[in-house]
Amino acid sequence: MLILFQILFSLFALFAIISVYSKKRSGLLSAGAAIFWTPFWLLAVVFVWLPNALTVVANTFGIGRGADLVLYVSLVVVFFILFRLSVKIEGLNRSITKVVRDKSLSEVLERDSSTRSARSE
Amino acid sequence: MFLAIVPAYNEGKTIGSVARGLFEHVDKVVVVDDGSTDDTFIEAQKTCAVVLRHEINRGQGAALETGHEYARKIDADYVLHFDGDGQFDPSDIAPALKALQESGADILFGSRFLGKQANLPFFKKFFILPLAKLLNYLIADSRLSDVHNGFHILTRRALDSIRITQDRMAHATEIVALVKKNRLKYIEFPVSVRYSEYGQCAVGGLQILRDLLLDKFIK
Repeated sequence: MLILFQILFSLFALFAIISVYSKKRSGLLSAGAAIFWTPFWLLAVVFVWLPNALTVVANTFGIGRGADLVLYVSLVVVFFILFRLSVKIEGLNRSITKVVRDKSLSEVLERDSSTRSARSE
Repeated sequence: MFLAIVPAYNEGKTIGSVARGLFEHVDKVVVVDDGSTDDTFIEAQKTCAVVLRHEINRGQGAALETGHEYARKIDADYVLHFDGDGQFDPSDIAPALKALQESGADILFGSRFLGKQANLPFFKKFFILPLAKLLNYLIADSRLSDVHNGFHILTRRALDSIRITQDRMAHATEIVALVKKNRLKYIEFPVSVRYSEYGQCAVGGLQILRDLLLDKFIK
Protein backbone atom coordinates (compact mmCIF):
# COMPACT_ATOMS: atom_id res chain seq x y z
CA MET A 1 0.00 0.00 0.00
CA LEU A 2 2.82 2.36 0.98
CA ILE A 3 4.64 1.54 -2.27
CA LEU A 4 1.54 2.56 -4.27
CA PHE A 5 1.36 5.89 -2.38
CA GLN A 6 5.11 6.44 -2.92
CA ILE A 7 4.78 5.81 -6.64
CA LEU A 8 1.72 8.06 -7.00
CA PHE A 9 3.36 10.84 -4.97
CA SER A 10 6.56 10.59 -7.03
CA LEU A 11 4.54 10.87 -10.25
CA PHE A 12 2.70 13.88 -8.83
CA ALA A 13 6.01 15.50 -7.82
CA LEU A 14 7.41 14.83 -11.30
CA PHE A 15 4.33 16.46 -12.81
CA ALA A 16 4.77 19.41 -10.42
CA ILE A 17 8.42 19.90 -11.42
CA ILE A 18 7.53 19.75 -15.14
CA SER A 19 4.76 22.27 -14.49
CA VAL A 20 7.22 24.56 -12.63
CA TYR A 21 9.55 24.57 -15.63
CA SER A 22 6.84 25.06 -18.22
CA LYS A 23 5.47 28.02 -16.19
CA LYS A 24 8.99 29.40 -15.82
CA ARG A 25 9.51 29.15 -19.60
CA SER A 26 6.22 30.90 -20.36
CA GLY A 27 7.10 33.68 -17.91
CA LEU A 28 4.33 32.91 -15.37
CA LEU A 29 6.85 31.97 -12.67
CA SER A 30 9.93 33.90 -11.60
CA ALA A 31 13.43 32.34 -11.54
CA GLY A 32 13.44 32.62 -7.73
CA ALA A 33 10.15 30.73 -7.43
CA ALA A 34 11.44 27.98 -9.77
CA ILE A 35 14.61 27.66 -7.68
CA PHE A 36 12.45 27.28 -4.54
CA TRP A 37 9.86 24.82 -5.90
CA THR A 38 12.24 22.38 -7.67
CA PRO A 39 14.26 21.36 -4.56
CA PHE A 40 11.02 21.45 -2.55
CA TRP A 41 9.42 18.70 -4.66
CA LEU A 42 12.69 16.74 -4.92
CA LEU A 43 13.03 16.82 -1.12
CA ALA A 44 9.39 15.77 -0.74
CA VAL A 45 10.09 12.70 -2.94
CA VAL A 46 13.19 11.86 -0.86
CA PHE A 47 11.18 12.01 2.38
CA VAL A 48 8.34 9.94 0.95
CA TRP A 49 10.73 7.16 -0.03
CA LEU A 50 12.80 7.47 3.17
CA PRO A 51 10.22 8.33 5.89
CA ASN A 52 12.73 7.66 8.67
CA ALA A 53 14.93 10.47 7.37
CA LEU A 54 12.06 12.89 8.03
CA THR A 55 11.65 11.51 11.54
CA VAL A 56 15.35 12.21 12.19
CA VAL A 57 14.84 15.81 11.07
CA ALA A 58 11.65 16.08 13.21
CA ASN A 59 13.50 14.75 16.27
CA THR A 60 16.12 17.50 15.96
CA PHE A 61 13.24 20.00 16.38
CA GLY A 62 11.85 18.07 19.36
CA ILE A 63 8.93 16.64 17.36
CA GLY A 64 8.30 12.90 17.66
CA ARG A 65 7.12 11.98 14.17
CA GLY A 66 8.06 13.16 10.70
CA ALA A 67 4.39 13.32 9.72
CA ASP A 68 3.75 15.76 12.59
CA LEU A 69 6.58 17.99 11.39
CA VAL A 70 5.01 18.06 7.90
CA LEU A 71 1.62 18.93 9.45
CA TYR A 72 2.99 21.81 11.55
CA VAL A 73 5.08 23.28 8.74
CA SER A 74 2.14 22.98 6.32
CA LEU A 75 -0.13 24.82 8.76
CA VAL A 76 2.33 27.70 9.10
CA VAL A 77 2.80 27.87 5.33
CA VAL A 78 -0.98 27.82 4.69
CA PHE A 79 -1.56 30.67 7.17
CA PHE A 80 1.25 32.68 5.61
CA ILE A 81 -0.19 32.16 2.12
CA LEU A 82 -3.65 33.21 3.40
CA PHE A 83 -2.16 36.37 4.87
CA ARG A 84 -0.30 37.18 1.64
CA LEU A 85 -3.50 36.62 -0.34
CA SER A 86 -5.48 38.90 1.99
CA VAL A 87 -2.93 41.69 1.53
CA LYS A 88 -2.97 41.18 -2.24
CA ILE A 89 -6.78 41.18 -2.40
CA GLU A 90 -6.94 44.38 -0.32
CA GLY A 91 -4.45 46.00 -2.70
CA LEU A 92 -6.59 44.94 -5.67
CA ASN A 93 -9.69 46.29 -3.91
CA ARG A 94 -8.04 49.69 -3.59
CA SER A 95 -7.11 49.67 -7.26
CA ILE A 96 -10.72 48.84 -8.16
CA THR A 97 -11.92 51.70 -5.93
CA LYS A 98 -9.57 54.10 -7.72
CA VAL A 99 -10.94 53.09 -11.13
CA VAL A 100 -14.55 53.37 -9.92
CA ARG A 101 -13.82 56.78 -8.32
CA ASP A 102 -12.05 58.20 -11.38
CA LYS A 103 -14.92 57.12 -13.62
CA SER A 104 -17.61 58.64 -11.38
CA LEU A 105 -15.69 61.91 -11.09
CA SER A 106 -14.90 62.18 -14.80
CA GLU A 107 -18.58 61.69 -15.69
CA VAL A 108 -19.68 64.57 -13.45
CA LEU A 109 -16.78 66.89 -14.21
CA GLU A 110 -17.25 66.40 -17.97
CA ARG A 111 -20.96 67.15 -17.58
CA ASP A 112 -20.14 70.27 -15.52
CA SER A 113 -17.66 71.57 -18.10
CA SER A 114 -20.01 70.91 -21.04
CA THR A 115 -22.82 72.74 -19.18
CA ARG A 116 -20.49 75.68 -18.54
CA SER A 117 -19.37 75.85 -22.19
CA ALA A 118 -23.00 75.63 -23.40
CA ARG A 119 -23.90 78.55 -21.12
CA SER A 120 -20.99 80.67 -22.37
CA GLU A 121 -22.07 80.08 -25.99
CA MET B 1 -17.71 77.25 -0.49
CA PHE B 2 -19.25 74.92 2.07
CA LEU B 3 -19.84 71.47 0.57
CA ALA B 4 -21.79 68.60 2.11
CA ILE B 5 -20.78 65.04 1.18
CA VAL B 6 -23.50 62.45 1.64
CA PRO B 7 -22.40 58.86 1.08
CA ALA B 8 -25.43 56.73 0.29
CA TYR B 9 -25.92 53.03 -0.22
CA ASN B 10 -29.49 51.84 -0.73
CA GLU B 11 -30.91 54.96 0.94
CA GLY B 12 -33.62 55.53 -1.67
CA LYS B 13 -36.27 56.16 1.00
CA THR B 14 -34.34 58.87 2.85
CA ILE B 15 -31.76 60.38 0.47
CA GLY B 16 -34.18 62.86 -1.13
CA SER B 17 -35.30 64.44 2.15
CA VAL B 18 -31.73 64.35 3.58
CA ALA B 19 -30.28 66.15 0.53
CA ARG B 20 -33.11 68.74 0.41
CA GLY B 21 -32.70 69.36 4.14
CA LEU B 22 -29.05 70.25 3.64
CA PHE B 23 -29.43 73.00 1.06
CA GLU B 24 -30.37 75.72 3.53
CA HIS B 25 -27.21 75.02 5.57
CA VAL B 26 -24.51 74.48 2.90
CA ASP B 27 -23.66 75.91 -0.54
CA LYS B 28 -23.52 72.65 -2.39
CA VAL B 29 -24.53 69.04 -1.73
CA VAL B 30 -22.75 66.04 -3.24
CA VAL B 31 -24.45 62.67 -2.94
CA VAL B 32 -22.13 59.75 -3.59
CA ASP B 33 -24.31 56.81 -4.60
CA ASP B 34 -22.13 53.87 -3.67
CA GLY B 35 -23.42 51.32 -6.17
CA SER B 36 -26.94 51.18 -4.73
CA THR B 37 -29.30 48.55 -6.06
CA ASP B 38 -32.41 50.56 -5.18
CA ASP B 39 -33.53 53.96 -6.53
CA THR B 40 -31.02 56.04 -4.50
CA PHE B 41 -29.47 57.49 -7.68
CA ILE B 42 -32.84 58.54 -9.15
CA GLU B 43 -34.07 60.01 -5.86
CA ALA B 44 -30.82 61.94 -5.38
CA GLN B 45 -31.03 63.32 -8.92
CA LYS B 46 -34.50 64.71 -8.19
CA THR B 47 -32.84 67.12 -5.75
CA CYS B 48 -30.41 69.87 -6.79
CA ALA B 49 -27.49 67.83 -5.47
CA VAL B 50 -24.50 66.81 -7.58
CA VAL B 51 -24.72 63.03 -7.78
CA LEU B 52 -21.56 60.97 -8.14
CA ARG B 53 -22.16 57.33 -8.85
CA HIS B 54 -19.93 54.37 -8.01
CA GLU B 55 -20.80 51.68 -10.52
CA ILE B 56 -20.14 49.03 -7.89
CA ASN B 57 -20.36 49.19 -4.12
CA ARG B 58 -16.99 50.19 -2.62
CA GLY B 59 -17.89 51.10 0.97
CA GLN B 60 -18.54 54.26 2.95
CA GLY B 61 -14.87 55.25 3.25
CA ALA B 62 -14.45 55.01 -0.53
CA ALA B 63 -17.59 57.09 -1.09
CA LEU B 64 -16.36 59.80 1.29
CA GLU B 65 -12.98 59.96 -0.44
CA THR B 66 -14.73 60.28 -3.82
CA GLY B 67 -16.57 63.26 -2.33
CA HIS B 68 -13.23 64.61 -1.04
CA GLU B 69 -11.71 64.37 -4.54
CA TYR B 70 -14.65 66.31 -5.94
CA ALA B 71 -14.33 68.91 -3.15
CA ARG B 72 -10.62 69.39 -3.92
CA LYS B 73 -11.36 69.81 -7.63
CA ILE B 74 -13.96 72.53 -7.06
CA ASP B 75 -11.86 74.22 -4.33
CA ALA B 76 -14.28 73.82 -1.44
CA ASP B 77 -13.36 75.75 1.73
CA TYR B 78 -15.27 73.53 4.16
CA VAL B 79 -16.53 69.98 3.80
CA LEU B 80 -19.28 68.35 5.83
CA HIS B 81 -19.69 64.57 6.19
CA PHE B 82 -23.36 63.79 6.64
CA ASP B 83 -24.93 60.31 6.62
CA GLY B 84 -27.62 59.58 4.05
CA ASP B 85 -29.94 57.63 6.33
CA GLY B 86 -31.39 60.69 8.08
CA GLN B 87 -29.84 59.97 11.47
CA PHE B 88 -28.30 63.46 11.80
CA ASP B 89 -30.13 66.72 12.41
CA PRO B 90 -29.31 69.41 9.80
CA SER B 91 -29.93 72.13 12.42
CA ASP B 92 -26.62 71.06 14.06
CA ILE B 93 -24.66 72.19 10.98
CA ALA B 94 -24.68 75.98 11.37
CA PRO B 95 -23.65 76.06 15.07
CA ALA B 96 -21.02 73.38 14.38
CA LEU B 97 -19.49 75.40 11.52
CA LYS B 98 -19.52 78.53 13.71
CA ALA B 99 -17.77 76.63 16.52
CA LEU B 100 -15.13 75.34 14.10
CA GLN B 101 -14.47 78.81 12.65
CA GLU B 102 -14.23 80.41 16.07
CA SER B 103 -11.91 77.73 17.43
CA GLY B 104 -9.45 77.97 14.54
CA ALA B 105 -9.30 74.17 14.47
CA ASP B 106 -8.88 72.12 11.29
CA ILE B 107 -11.58 69.53 11.84
CA LEU B 108 -14.73 69.14 13.92
CA PHE B 109 -15.91 65.78 15.19
CA GLY B 110 -19.58 65.39 16.06
CA SER B 111 -20.19 63.74 19.41
CA ARG B 112 -23.27 62.09 20.87
CA PHE B 113 -21.94 62.44 24.38
CA LEU B 114 -21.37 66.15 24.84
CA GLY B 115 -24.54 67.57 26.31
CA LYS B 116 -27.09 66.07 23.94
CA GLN B 117 -28.94 62.96 24.94
CA ALA B 118 -28.15 59.99 22.71
CA ASN B 119 -30.63 57.14 22.78
CA LEU B 120 -28.03 54.44 22.31
CA PRO B 121 -29.08 50.77 22.08
CA PHE B 122 -27.91 48.72 25.10
CA PHE B 123 -25.46 46.43 23.26
CA LYS B 124 -23.94 49.37 21.44
CA LYS B 125 -23.58 51.45 24.60
CA PHE B 126 -21.97 48.84 26.85
CA PHE B 127 -20.11 46.61 24.40
CA ILE B 128 -19.45 48.06 20.95
CA LEU B 129 -18.71 51.65 22.00
CA PRO B 130 -16.16 50.90 24.78
CA LEU B 131 -14.36 48.46 22.44
CA ALA B 132 -14.35 51.00 19.60
CA LYS B 133 -13.00 53.68 21.94
CA LEU B 134 -10.25 51.33 23.08
CA LEU B 135 -9.37 50.55 19.45
CA ASN B 136 -9.26 54.26 18.58
CA TYR B 137 -7.03 54.89 21.57
CA LEU B 138 -4.65 52.05 20.70
CA ILE B 139 -4.42 52.79 16.97
CA ALA B 140 -4.89 56.55 16.80
CA ASP B 141 -4.10 57.60 20.39
CA SER B 142 -7.48 59.28 20.34
CA ARG B 143 -9.31 60.48 23.43
CA LEU B 144 -12.45 61.56 21.58
CA SER B 145 -15.67 61.23 23.58
CA ASP B 146 -17.35 59.53 20.62
CA VAL B 147 -16.15 57.14 17.94
CA HIS B 148 -17.54 56.20 14.55
CA ASN B 149 -19.79 59.24 14.51
CA GLY B 150 -20.12 60.21 10.85
CA PHE B 151 -20.67 63.94 11.46
CA HIS B 152 -17.46 65.81 10.60
CA ILE B 153 -16.62 69.26 9.25
CA LEU B 154 -13.21 69.65 7.60
CA THR B 155 -11.42 72.83 6.68
CA ARG B 156 -9.48 73.03 3.41
CA ARG B 157 -6.27 72.22 5.30
CA ALA B 158 -7.82 69.07 6.78
CA LEU B 159 -9.27 68.14 3.38
CA ASP B 160 -5.81 68.29 1.82
CA SER B 161 -4.23 66.27 4.64
CA ILE B 162 -6.89 63.60 5.07
CA ARG B 163 -6.89 61.13 2.21
CA ILE B 164 -9.00 58.13 3.11
CA THR B 165 -7.59 54.80 1.95
CA GLN B 166 -9.88 52.60 4.05
CA ASP B 167 -12.78 51.77 1.75
CA ARG B 168 -15.09 50.32 4.36
CA MET B 169 -15.93 51.36 7.93
CA ALA B 170 -12.35 51.58 9.23
CA HIS B 171 -12.19 55.06 7.69
CA ALA B 172 -13.54 56.51 10.95
CA THR B 173 -10.44 55.34 12.84
CA GLU B 174 -8.20 56.25 9.89
CA ILE B 175 -9.45 59.86 9.92
CA VAL B 176 -8.60 60.17 13.62
CA ALA B 177 -5.16 58.65 13.00
CA LEU B 178 -4.52 61.08 10.11
CA VAL B 179 -5.53 64.02 12.30
CA LYS B 180 -2.86 63.00 14.77
CA LYS B 181 -0.26 62.18 12.09
CA ASN B 182 -0.72 65.54 10.33
CA ARG B 183 -0.91 67.42 13.64
CA LEU B 184 -4.29 68.89 12.82
CA LYS B 185 -6.20 70.77 15.50
CA TYR B 186 -9.59 69.31 16.29
CA ILE B 187 -12.65 70.10 18.35
CA GLU B 188 -15.68 68.08 19.35
CA PHE B 189 -19.21 69.36 19.06
CA PRO B 190 -22.46 67.89 20.44
CA VAL B 191 -24.77 66.55 17.73
CA SER B 192 -28.05 64.67 17.83
CA VAL B 193 -28.23 61.17 16.41
CA ARG B 194 -31.45 59.38 15.73
CA TYR B 195 -30.88 55.66 15.60
CA SER B 196 -32.06 53.44 12.80
CA GLU B 197 -31.58 49.68 12.64
CA TYR B 198 -28.30 50.14 10.82
CA GLY B 199 -25.04 50.27 12.75
CA GLN B 200 -21.87 48.42 13.63
CA CYS B 201 -22.27 44.93 15.05
CA ALA B 202 -19.54 42.84 16.68
CA VAL B 203 -18.64 41.25 13.32
CA GLY B 204 -18.36 44.73 11.82
CA GLY B 205 -15.94 45.66 14.59
CA LEU B 206 -13.75 42.66 13.79
CA GLN B 207 -13.83 43.61 10.09
CA ILE B 208 -12.60 47.11 11.03
CA LEU B 209 -9.79 45.62 13.09
CA ARG B 210 -8.81 43.33 10.21
CA ASP B 211 -8.83 46.23 7.72
CA LEU B 212 -6.65 48.38 9.98
CA LEU B 213 -4.14 45.56 10.46
CA LEU B 214 -3.97 44.72 6.74
CA ASP B 215 -3.36 48.38 5.98
CA LYS B 216 0.01 48.13 7.73
CA PHE B 217 1.21 45.70 5.06
CA ILE B 218 -0.08 47.49 1.95
CA LYS B 219 2.32 49.80 0.16
